[in-house]
Amino acid sequence: MRAPAIVYAADPPAARIAVALDALVAVYHRPSGVTHLLAAPSPELLDALADGPADAATLRDRLAARYDLEGDADDRITATIDARMEEMIVAGLAWTT
Amino acid sequence: MAQDCDKPEKSPGESDAAALGVAGRRGVLMLGAVAATSVVTIRPALASTAASVLNCKIPIPDPAHAGQYITQDGRLVAAGTKDAVAPPPRPITGDEAKKMINGQSPAGFDPSSREAYVNYIRRLQHGTSGFTCYASLQVPRP
Repeated sequence: MRAPAIVYAADPPAARIAVALDALVAVYHRPSGVTHLLAAPSPELLDALADGPADAATLRDRLAARYDLEGDADDRITATIDARMEEMIVAGLAWTT
Repeated sequence: MAQDCDKPEKSPGESDAAALGVAGRRGVLMLGAVAATSVVTIRPALASTAASVLNCKIPIPDPAHAGQYITQDGRLVAAGTKDAVAPPPRPITGDEAKKMINGQSPAGFDPSSREAYVNYIRRLQHGTSGFTCYASLQVPRP
């Protein structure tokens, strides 16, 4: 029933400079020279992609290995991750494979 | 109380650089709602004027490497290297670079060199001549 999962990828962490600003993280993306302000869980999603391209379910598992995820039911979590990744694609921080 | 599973694993004073400081001390990650936007892009001032993008120039290669040829994957090599292409006759404007990136071949440039030029532009790094021009092309515009 489920649509094919979108697989996301991002530049390695070395391509970014991240500075925590209280609740936000300023991320300078070296390849584009553009700075973005990210709120949770986007910086964590970018970091989770350091282990390689992944779909929303895999990203959820990677995050769950590091954090206690606080959110909705499981299918809502992957929908939220998809929404956050879509934003980062528009911003140029990630792409689909 | 003491057996609570969300007890902090680390003392509050201990920093956890890997977590980037956003997740709480106990490693709780708030995922938020689907509709909650979490990315704001800070646009470089240069990108705020359309004119700067149209008129800025990307020299290929940068002046320090004038005369060098460009390989298909965008690296600079000695003039005359086999399978590498000659530099364009003049710097590429931001508008022309945009067209090339989009697969078009603006007048005045050898269409067969387009890919090498585009790959050169993509490899531009901060501090290289033309980088700011290229970066401003990358910023999404409303």
